[in-house]
Amino acid sequence: MITERQEELAALHAFDLLEAAEKLAFVTELAANPELQVLVAQLAATAATLALSGAQLNPPAELKQAVLAACSASSLIQTDKPMDAKIVSFSFFKLIPWAAAATLALATAWFARESTMLRDENSALRTERQLAEVAYKMAQNQLSSRSLLAEKMIASLGDKLHRAEDLARLKVTALASLAGNTKEAQVIAVWDPEQQLGLLTMEKLPAIADTQDYQIWIVDPAYPNPVDGGVFHVSQDGRVILPFKPAQPVARAAAFAISLEKKGGVPVAVGPIVLLGK
Amino acid sequence: MTDPAPSPIGDEAQAHEQARLLAAMAIGEQAALAQLYDSLAKPLYSLAFRVLNNASEAQDVVQDVFVQLWKKASSYEQSRGSVFSWAVTLTRNRAIDRVRTRKRRAELLAESAPDIQPMTLNGGHDSAHSLWLQEKAAAVRGALAQLGPDQQKAIELAYFSGLTQQEIAVTLNAPLGTIKARIRRGLRQLREIIPFHL
Repeated sequence: MITERQEELAALHAFDLLEAAEKLAFVTELAANPELQVLVAQLAATAATLALSGAQLNPPAELKQAVLAACSASSLIQTDKPMDAKIVSFSFFKLIPWAAAATLALATAWFARESTMLRDENSALRTERQLAEVAYKMAQNQLSSRSLLAEKMIASLGDKLHRAEDLARLKVTALASLAGNTKEAQVIAVWDPEQQLGLLTMEKLPAIADTQDYQIWIVDPAYPNPVDGGVFHVSQDGRVILPFKPAQPVARAAAFAISLEKKGGVPVAVGPIVLLGK
Repeated sequence: MTDPAPSPIGDEAQAHEQARLLAAMAIGEQAALAQLYDSLAKPLYSLAFRVLNNASEAQDVVQDVFVQLWKKASSYEQSRGSVFSWAVTLTRNRAIDRVRTRKRRAELLAESAPDIQPMTLNGGHDSAHSLWLQEKAAAVRGALAQLGPDQQKAIELAYFSGLTQQEIAVTLNAPLGTIKARIRRGLRQLREIIPFHL
Protein backbone atom coordinates (compact mmCIF):
# COMPACT_ATOMS: atom_id res chain seq x y z
CA MET A 1 0.00 0.00 0.00
CA ILE A 2 1.57 3.23 -1.17
CA THR A 3 0.52 6.26 0.80
CA GLU A 4 0.00 9.68 -0.68
CA ARG A 5 3.03 10.88 1.22
CA GLN A 6 5.19 8.10 -0.23
CA GLU A 7 3.91 8.88 -3.71
CA GLU A 8 4.78 12.53 -3.23
CA LEU A 9 8.28 11.69 -2.05
CA ALA A 10 8.70 9.28 -4.95
CA ALA A 11 7.69 12.01 -7.42
CA LEU A 12 10.06 14.52 -5.88
CA HIS A 13 12.78 11.87 -5.86
CA ALA A 14 12.23 11.26 -9.57
CA PHE A 15 13.00 14.93 -10.16
CA ASP A 16 15.87 14.89 -7.68
CA LEU A 17 14.10 17.53 -5.63
CA LEU A 18 14.40 15.96 -2.20
CA GLU A 19 16.58 17.72 0.31
CA ALA A 20 19.57 15.76 1.58
CA ALA A 21 17.90 14.63 4.82
CA GLU A 22 14.62 13.84 3.04
CA LYS A 23 16.46 11.91 0.40
CA LEU A 24 18.40 9.86 2.89
CA ALA A 25 15.26 8.99 4.81
CA PHE A 26 13.35 8.16 1.65
CA VAL A 27 16.06 5.99 0.13
CA THR A 28 16.34 4.12 3.42
CA GLU A 29 12.59 3.53 3.40
CA LEU A 30 12.79 2.59 -0.25
CA ALA A 31 15.30 -0.16 0.43
CA ALA A 32 12.75 -1.98 2.57
CA ASN A 33 9.69 -1.46 0.40
CA PRO A 34 9.57 -3.39 -2.91
CA GLU A 35 6.23 -1.88 -3.87
CA LEU A 36 7.67 1.58 -3.45
CA GLN A 37 10.69 0.57 -5.51
CA VAL A 38 8.42 -0.33 -8.42
CA LEU A 39 6.64 3.00 -8.18
CA VAL A 40 9.92 4.92 -8.03
CA ALA A 41 11.26 3.06 -11.06
CA GLN A 42 8.11 3.83 -13.01
CA LEU A 43 8.14 7.49 -12.05
CA ALA A 44 11.84 7.79 -12.90
CA ALA A 45 11.21 6.26 -16.31
CA THR A 46 8.28 8.59 -16.84
CA ALA A 47 10.33 11.59 -15.78
CA ALA A 48 13.03 10.57 -18.26
CA THR A 49 10.56 10.80 -21.12
CA LEU A 50 10.23 14.51 -20.40
CA ALA A 51 13.55 14.85 -22.16
CA LEU A 52 11.50 14.51 -25.32
CA SER A 53 8.95 17.11 -24.41
CA GLY A 54 10.87 19.98 -25.92
CA ALA A 55 11.81 20.56 -29.50
CA GLN A 56 14.24 17.98 -30.75
CA LEU A 57 17.44 19.59 -31.92
CA ASN A 58 20.13 18.12 -34.08
CA PRO A 59 23.46 18.41 -32.36
CA PRO A 60 26.32 19.93 -34.36
CA ALA A 61 27.85 17.46 -36.77
CA GLU A 62 31.28 17.86 -35.24
CA LEU A 63 30.02 16.71 -31.87
CA LYS A 64 30.00 13.06 -32.88
CA GLN A 65 33.64 13.17 -33.88
CA ALA A 66 34.48 14.97 -30.68
CA VAL A 67 32.69 12.30 -28.64
CA LEU A 68 34.41 9.45 -30.45
CA ALA A 69 37.78 11.13 -30.08
CA ALA A 70 37.21 11.80 -26.39
CA CYS A 71 36.23 8.18 -25.79
CA SER A 72 39.25 6.92 -27.67
CA ALA A 73 41.45 9.19 -25.63
CA SER A 74 39.86 8.00 -22.44
CA SER A 75 40.45 4.40 -23.51
CA LEU A 76 44.14 5.12 -23.92
CA ILE A 77 44.25 6.88 -20.60
CA GLN A 78 42.39 4.06 -18.93
CA THR A 79 45.19 1.66 -19.78
CA ASP A 80 47.59 3.81 -17.79
CA LYS A 81 45.47 4.87 -14.87
CA PRO A 82 42.27 3.94 -13.13
CA MET A 83 38.89 5.12 -14.30
CA ASP A 84 37.67 8.58 -13.53
CA ALA A 85 36.81 8.56 -9.87
CA LYS A 86 33.78 10.78 -10.37
CA ILE A 87 30.64 8.65 -10.35
CA VAL A 88 27.34 9.95 -11.54
CA SER A 89 24.39 8.21 -10.00
CA PHE A 90 22.08 6.51 -12.37
CA SER A 91 19.15 5.22 -10.47
CA PHE A 92 17.87 4.95 -7.00
CA PHE A 93 19.03 1.34 -6.85
CA LYS A 94 22.61 2.49 -6.81
CA LEU A 95 21.80 4.91 -4.05
CA ILE A 96 20.40 2.23 -1.75
CA PRO A 97 23.68 0.71 -0.54
CA TRP A 98 25.23 4.17 -0.36
CA ALA A 99 22.26 5.43 1.57
CA ALA A 100 22.44 2.47 3.91
CA ALA A 101 26.14 3.06 4.41
CA ALA A 102 25.55 6.77 4.92
CA THR A 103 22.77 6.03 7.39
CA LEU A 104 25.02 3.65 9.27
CA ALA A 105 27.85 6.16 9.25
CA LEU A 106 25.56 8.94 10.45
CA ALA A 107 24.06 6.72 13.10
CA THR A 108 27.51 5.64 14.22
CA ALA A 109 28.70 9.21 14.34
CA TRP A 110 25.59 10.26 16.18
CA PHE A 111 25.90 7.45 18.72
CA ALA A 112 29.60 8.15 19.14
CA ARG A 113 28.86 11.80 19.75
CA GLU A 114 26.05 10.95 22.17
CA SER A 115 28.26 8.41 23.90
CA THR A 116 31.07 10.95 24.28
CA MET A 117 28.65 13.55 25.58
CA LEU A 118 27.10 11.10 28.03
CA ARG A 119 30.53 9.92 29.15
CA ASP A 120 31.63 13.51 29.74
CA GLU A 121 28.39 14.27 31.51
CA ASN A 122 28.71 11.13 33.59
CA SER A 123 32.28 12.00 34.50
CA ALA A 124 31.25 15.52 35.45
CA LEU A 125 28.38 14.20 37.55
CA ARG A 126 30.67 11.68 39.24
CA THR A 127 33.19 14.42 40.05
CA GLU A 128 30.39 16.64 41.26
CA ARG A 129 29.08 13.83 43.44
CA GLN A 130 32.53 13.15 44.87
CA LEU A 131 32.96 16.82 45.68
CA ALA A 132 29.54 16.86 47.30
CA GLU A 133 30.44 13.80 49.36
CA VAL A 134 33.69 15.42 50.50
CA ALA A 135 31.85 18.61 51.39
CA TYR A 136 29.22 16.57 53.22
CA LYS A 137 31.84 14.68 55.21
CA MET A 138 33.66 17.90 56.07
CA ALA A 139 30.43 19.45 57.22
CA GLN A 140 29.59 16.32 59.15
CA ASN A 141 32.99 16.33 60.85
CA GLN A 142 32.70 20.01 61.66
CA LEU A 143 29.23 19.44 63.03
CA SER A 144 30.43 16.46 64.99
CA SER A 145 33.35 18.46 66.42
CA ARG A 146 31.13 21.33 67.28
CA SER A 147 28.59 18.99 68.76
CA LEU A 148 31.25 17.34 70.91
CA LEU A 149 32.57 20.70 71.98
CA ALA A 150 29.09 21.88 72.77
CA GLU A 151 28.38 18.75 74.74
CA LYS A 152 31.55 19.26 76.75
CA MET A 153 30.69 22.89 77.30
CA ILE A 154 27.18 21.97 78.37
CA ALA A 155 28.48 19.26 80.67
CA SER A 156 31.05 21.63 82.13
CA LEU A 157 28.47 24.34 82.59
CA GLY A 158 26.15 21.77 84.10
CA ASP A 159 28.77 20.67 86.56
CA LYS A 160 29.54 24.25 87.44
CA LEU A 161 25.89 25.01 87.78
CA HIS A 162 25.35 21.85 89.77
CA ARG A 163 28.19 22.70 92.09
CA ALA A 164 26.95 26.24 92.42
CA GLU A 165 23.47 24.99 93.13
CA ASP A 166 24.85 22.52 95.67
CA LEU A 167 26.82 25.21 97.35
CA ALA A 168 23.88 27.53 97.28
CA ARG A 169 21.64 24.83 98.60
CA LEU A 170 23.94 23.79 101.43
CA LYS A 171 23.80 25.58 104.70
CA VAL A 172 27.19 25.94 106.34
CA THR A 173 27.25 27.06 109.92
CA ALA A 174 30.10 27.50 112.37
CA LEU A 175 29.07 26.54 115.89
CA ALA A 176 30.26 28.70 118.71
CA SER A 177 31.16 27.46 122.19
CA LEU A 178 28.73 28.26 124.89
CA ALA A 179 30.55 26.36 127.70
CA GLY A 180 33.87 27.14 129.25
CA ASN A 181 35.36 23.76 128.51
CA THR A 182 34.66 23.99 124.73
CA LYS A 183 36.01 27.40 123.94
CA GLU A 184 38.81 25.97 121.80
CA ALA A 185 36.50 23.66 119.93
CA GLN A 186 36.01 24.34 116.22
CA VAL A 187 32.83 22.84 114.86
CA ILE A 188 31.30 23.40 111.45
CA ALA A 189 27.93 22.00 110.43
CA VAL A 190 27.00 21.53 106.77
CA TRP A 191 23.34 20.88 106.02
CA ASP A 192 21.78 19.64 102.82
CA PRO A 193 18.07 20.35 103.07
CA GLU A 194 17.25 18.45 99.92
CA GLN A 195 18.77 15.22 101.13
CA GLN A 196 17.97 15.94 104.77
CA LEU A 197 21.56 15.08 105.69
CA GLY A 198 24.16 16.92 107.70
CA LEU A 199 27.89 16.72 108.31
CA LEU A 200 29.77 17.90 111.38
CA THR A 201 33.46 18.65 111.34
CA MET A 202 34.82 19.00 114.84
CA GLU A 203 38.24 19.66 116.23
CA LYS A 204 39.36 19.97 119.82
CA LEU A 205 36.00 19.00 121.20
CA PRO A 206 36.56 17.97 124.85
CA ALA A 207 36.30 14.32 125.75
CA ILE A 208 33.38 13.36 127.98
CA ALA A 209 32.57 10.57 130.43
CA ASP A 210 31.42 7.22 129.17
CA THR A 211 28.05 7.84 130.75
CA GLN A 212 27.49 10.90 128.63
CA ASP A 213 27.01 11.66 124.87
CA TYR A 214 26.97 14.75 122.79
CA GLN A 215 23.57 15.16 121.08
CA ILE A 216 22.97 17.13 117.88
CA TRP A 217 19.92 19.35 117.54
CA ILE A 218 18.47 21.08 114.50
CA VAL A 219 16.35 24.09 115.24
CA ASP A 220 13.35 24.21 112.90
CA PRO A 221 10.68 26.86 113.54
CA ALA A 222 8.11 24.35 112.37
CA TYR A 223 8.60 22.36 115.58
CA PRO A 224 8.24 23.56 119.18
CA ASN A 225 11.41 21.70 120.20
CA PRO A 226 14.66 21.22 118.29
CA VAL A 227 14.77 18.11 116.15
CA ASP A 228 17.03 15.28 117.33
CA GLY A 229 20.07 14.82 115.07
CA GLY A 230 21.62 11.86 116.88
CA VAL A 231 24.34 11.32 119.47
CA PHE A 232 28.07 10.86 119.34
CA HIS A 233 30.81 10.32 121.89
CA VAL A 234 34.25 11.82 122.05
CA SER A 235 36.67 9.84 124.22
CA GLN A 236 39.70 12.01 123.51
CA ASP A 237 40.40 15.33 121.92
CA GLY A 238 40.66 15.03 118.21
CA ARG A 239 39.22 15.66 114.82
CA VAL A 240 35.85 14.09 114.16
CA ILE A 241 33.82 14.10 110.93
CA LEU A 242 30.34 12.92 111.65
CA PRO A 243 27.37 12.64 109.34
CA PHE A 244 23.98 13.09 110.95
CA LYS A 245 20.37 12.66 110.01
CA PRO A 246 17.43 14.25 111.80
CA ALA A 247 14.78 12.10 113.37
CA GLN A 248 12.08 14.27 111.78
CA PRO A 249 11.90 16.06 108.41
CA VAL A 250 13.46 19.50 108.62
CA ALA A 251 11.83 22.19 106.54
CA ARG A 252 14.21 24.97 107.50
CA ALA A 253 17.37 24.51 109.50
CA ALA A 254 17.53 27.79 111.40
CA ALA A 255 20.30 26.74 113.74
CA PHE A 256 22.41 23.84 114.93
CA ALA A 257 23.21 22.98 118.53
CA ILE A 258 25.14 20.36 120.43
CA SER A 259 24.17 19.52 124.00
CA LEU A 260 25.70 17.28 126.58
CA GLU A 261 23.26 14.56 127.48
CA LYS A 262 23.13 11.20 129.21
CA LYS A 263 24.34 8.15 127.35
CA GLY A 264 22.10 7.34 124.40
CA GLY A 265 20.54 10.77 124.21
CA VAL A 266 17.15 12.21 125.06
CA PRO A 267 13.99 13.12 123.04
CA VAL A 268 14.08 16.71 124.16
CA ALA A 269 17.25 18.48 125.15
CA VAL A 270 17.70 18.71 128.90
CA GLY A 271 21.46 18.99 129.29
CA PRO A 272 23.59 22.03 128.74
CA ILE A 273 24.04 23.44 125.16
CA VAL A 274 27.77 23.44 124.61
CA LEU A 275 27.84 24.62 120.97
CA LEU A 276 25.40 26.68 118.92
CA GLY A 277 25.42 28.12 115.42
CA LYS A 278 22.91 29.79 113.13
CA MET B 1 14.86 -7.05 -6.37
CA THR B 2 11.91 -5.65 -8.22
CA ASP B 3 10.94 -6.06 -11.81
CA PRO B 4 12.44 -3.52 -14.20
CA ALA B 5 10.29 -0.55 -14.97
CA PRO B 6 8.74 -0.59 -18.41
CA SER B 7 10.53 1.60 -20.90
CA PRO B 8 8.05 4.30 -21.77
CA ILE B 9 10.15 5.66 -24.58
CA GLY B 10 9.87 2.88 -27.00
CA ASP B 11 9.30 -0.68 -27.83
CA GLU B 12 11.24 -3.53 -26.39
CA ALA B 13 13.33 -3.93 -29.54
CA GLN B 14 14.61 -0.39 -29.29
CA ALA B 15 15.53 -0.80 -25.61
CA HIS B 16 17.13 -4.15 -26.29
CA GLU B 17 19.20 -2.76 -29.15
CA GLN B 18 20.52 0.07 -27.00
CA ALA B 19 21.42 -2.41 -24.26
CA ARG B 20 23.27 -4.54 -26.79
CA LEU B 21 25.24 -1.55 -28.00
CA LEU B 22 26.21 -0.67 -24.49
CA ALA B 23 27.37 -4.23 -23.88
CA ALA B 24 29.52 -3.96 -26.96
CA MET B 25 30.94 -0.68 -25.72
CA ALA B 26 31.87 -2.42 -22.52
CA ILE B 27 34.32 -4.54 -24.46
CA GLY B 28 35.72 -1.56 -26.33
CA GLU B 29 33.78 -1.57 -29.59
CA GLN B 30 33.83 1.99 -30.83
CA ALA B 31 31.44 1.16 -33.63
CA ALA B 32 28.83 0.42 -31.00
CA LEU B 33 29.54 3.79 -29.45
CA ALA B 34 28.97 5.48 -32.78
CA GLN B 35 25.68 3.67 -33.16
CA LEU B 36 24.49 4.54 -29.71
CA TYR B 37 25.45 8.13 -30.34
CA ASP B 38 23.22 8.18 -33.40
CA SER B 39 20.41 6.77 -31.31
CA LEU B 40 20.68 9.09 -28.31
CA ALA B 41 22.55 12.24 -29.27
CA LYS B 42 19.52 14.15 -30.43
CA PRO B 43 17.33 13.77 -27.35
CA LEU B 44 20.30 14.18 -25.04
CA TYR B 45 21.50 17.30 -26.76
CA SER B 46 17.97 18.70 -26.85
CA LEU B 47 17.60 18.06 -23.16
CA ALA B 48 20.93 19.63 -22.33
CA PHE B 49 20.15 22.63 -24.42
CA ARG B 50 16.72 22.93 -22.84
CA VAL B 51 18.24 23.00 -19.39
CA LEU B 52 21.28 25.12 -20.16
CA ASN B 53 20.00 27.30 -22.99
CA ASN B 54 23.51 27.35 -24.28
CA ALA B 55 24.66 25.35 -27.33
CA SER B 56 28.31 25.18 -26.35
CA GLU B 57 27.60 23.98 -22.86
CA ALA B 58 25.03 21.52 -24.17
CA GLN B 59 27.68 20.01 -26.43
CA ASP B 60 30.08 19.73 -23.53
CA VAL B 61 27.47 17.95 -21.47
CA VAL B 62 26.61 15.49 -24.23
CA GLN B 63 30.27 14.73 -24.80
CA ASP B 64 30.80 14.18 -21.07
CA VAL B 65 27.81 11.87 -20.93
CA PHE B 66 29.00 9.69 -23.79
CA VAL B 67 32.46 9.47 -22.32
CA GLN B 68 30.81 8.42 -19.08
CA LEU B 69 28.72 5.81 -20.87
CA TRP B 70 31.82 4.54 -22.56
CA LYS B 71 33.73 4.23 -19.32
CA LYS B 72 30.90 2.81 -17.27
CA ALA B 73 29.31 0.58 -19.88
CA SER B 74 30.45 -2.54 -18.06
CA SER B 75 28.59 -1.49 -14.92
CA TYR B 76 25.25 -1.17 -16.64
CA GLU B 77 22.54 -3.58 -15.52
CA GLN B 78 19.50 -3.81 -17.72
CA SER B 79 17.35 -4.86 -14.79
CA ARG B 80 17.74 -1.40 -13.30
CA GLY B 81 16.32 0.55 -16.19
CA SER B 82 16.74 1.29 -19.85
CA VAL B 83 19.85 2.74 -21.43
CA PHE B 84 17.76 5.66 -22.54
CA SER B 85 16.71 6.43 -18.95
CA TRP B 86 20.26 6.14 -17.73
CA ALA B 87 21.63 8.41 -20.45
CA VAL B 88 18.87 10.96 -19.90
CA THR B 89 19.45 10.95 -16.16
CA LEU B 90 23.17 11.48 -16.64
CA THR B 91 22.54 14.33 -19.06
CA ARG B 92 20.00 16.05 -16.86
CA ASN B 93 22.16 15.75 -13.75
CA ARG B 94 25.20 17.17 -15.48
CA ALA B 95 23.26 19.98 -17.08
CA ILE B 96 21.61 20.92 -13.80
CA ASP B 97 24.95 20.80 -12.03
CA ARG B 98 26.21 23.35 -14.50
CA VAL B 99 23.13 25.50 -14.02
CA ARG B 100 23.61 25.49 -10.28
CA THR B 101 27.29 26.16 -10.66
CA ARG B 102 26.66 29.16 -12.81
CA LYS B 103 24.28 30.63 -10.22
CA ARG B 104 22.10 31.93 -12.94
CA ARG B 105 18.91 30.13 -12.18
CA ALA B 106 16.61 33.10 -12.38
CA GLU B 107 17.99 34.28 -15.70
CA LEU B 108 17.90 30.82 -17.18
CA LEU B 109 14.36 30.32 -15.99
CA ALA B 110 13.26 33.45 -17.80
CA GLU B 111 15.26 32.56 -20.86
CA SER B 112 14.14 28.94 -21.01
CA ALA B 113 10.46 29.64 -20.63
CA PRO B 114 9.76 30.25 -24.32
CA ASP B 115 10.20 27.16 -26.42
CA ILE B 116 12.30 28.94 -28.96
CA GLN B 117 15.35 27.05 -30.11
CA PRO B 118 18.18 28.55 -32.10
CA MET B 119 19.10 25.30 -33.76
CA THR B 120 17.54 23.63 -36.74
CA LEU B 121 14.45 21.73 -35.70
CA ASN B 122 14.32 18.17 -36.84
CA GLY B 123 16.80 18.89 -39.47
CA GLY B 124 19.12 16.40 -41.00
CA HIS B 125 18.36 12.93 -42.18
CA ASP B 126 15.02 11.23 -41.66
CA SER B 127 16.32 7.88 -40.52
CA ALA B 128 14.07 5.22 -39.07
CA HIS B 129 15.34 6.09 -35.65
CA SER B 130 14.66 9.75 -36.18
CA LEU B 131 11.11 9.04 -37.16
CA TRP B 132 10.71 6.82 -34.14
CA LEU B 133 12.05 9.61 -31.97
CA GLN B 134 9.72 12.16 -33.49
CA GLU B 135 6.81 9.91 -32.76
CA LYS B 136 7.78 9.43 -29.14
CA ALA B 137 8.46 13.09 -28.62
CA ALA B 138 5.07 13.97 -29.97
CA ALA B 139 3.48 11.45 -27.63
CA VAL B 140 5.25 12.92 -24.60
CA ARG B 141 4.28 16.46 -25.59
CA GLY B 142 0.72 15.28 -26.06
CA ALA B 143 0.71 13.73 -22.60
CA LEU B 144 2.17 16.83 -21.07
CA ALA B 145 -0.47 18.94 -22.78
CA GLN B 146 -3.15 16.93 -21.02
CA LEU B 147 -2.02 18.25 -17.68
CA GLY B 148 -3.49 21.40 -16.26
CA PRO B 149 -1.40 24.52 -16.87
CA ASP B 150 -0.34 24.71 -13.22
CA GLN B 151 0.73 21.06 -13.12
CA GLN B 152 2.48 21.37 -16.44
CA LYS B 153 4.44 24.39 -15.32
CA ALA B 154 5.38 22.76 -12.03
CA ILE B 155 6.54 19.61 -13.84
CA GLU B 156 8.59 21.56 -16.38
CA LEU B 157 10.27 23.64 -13.71
CA ALA B 158 10.93 20.55 -11.61
CA TYR B 159 12.56 18.75 -14.49
CA PHE B 160 14.36 21.43 -16.47
CA SER B 161 15.08 24.38 -14.24
CA GLY B 162 17.32 22.94 -11.54
CA LEU B 163 15.35 24.90 -8.96
CA THR B 164 14.67 23.51 -5.51
CA GLN B 165 11.17 22.82 -4.21
CA GLN B 166 11.14 26.13 -2.38
CA GLU B 167 12.42 28.04 -5.39
CA ILE B 168 9.74 26.54 -7.59
CA ALA B 169 7.13 27.57 -5.03
CA VAL B 170 8.47 31.11 -5.01
CA THR B 171 8.68 31.23 -8.79
CA LEU B 172 5.10 30.06 -9.18
CA ASN B 173 3.95 32.10 -6.20
CA ALA B 174 2.27 29.10 -4.57
CA PRO B 175 2.62 27.33 -1.23
CA LEU B 176 5.23 24.61 -1.08
CA GLY B 177 2.61 21.98 -0.28
CA THR B 178 0.65 22.95 -3.36
CA ILE B 179 3.73 22.65 -5.54
CA LYS B 180 4.50 19.22 -4.17
CA ALA B 181 0.94 18.11 -4.82
CA ARG B 182 1.04 19.43 -8.38
CA ILE B 183 4.27 17.58 -9.08
CA ARG B 184 2.92 14.39 -7.55
CA ARG B 185 -0.38 14.48 -9.41
CA GLY B 186 1.23 15.63 -12.65
CA LEU B 187 3.82 12.88 -12.70
CA ARG B 188 1.25 10.27 -11.75
CA GLN B 189 -0.95 11.39 -14.63
CA LEU B 190 1.96 11.25 -17.06
CA ARG B 191 2.77 7.73 -15.87
CA GLU B 192 -0.78 6.68 -16.57
CA ILE B 193 -0.88 8.26 -20.01
CA ILE B 194 2.51 7.62 -21.56
CA PRO B 195 2.96 3.84 -21.18
CA PHE B 196 -0.38 3.17 -22.83
CA HIS B 197 0.20 5.49 -25.77
CA LEU B 198 3.69 4.43 -26.71
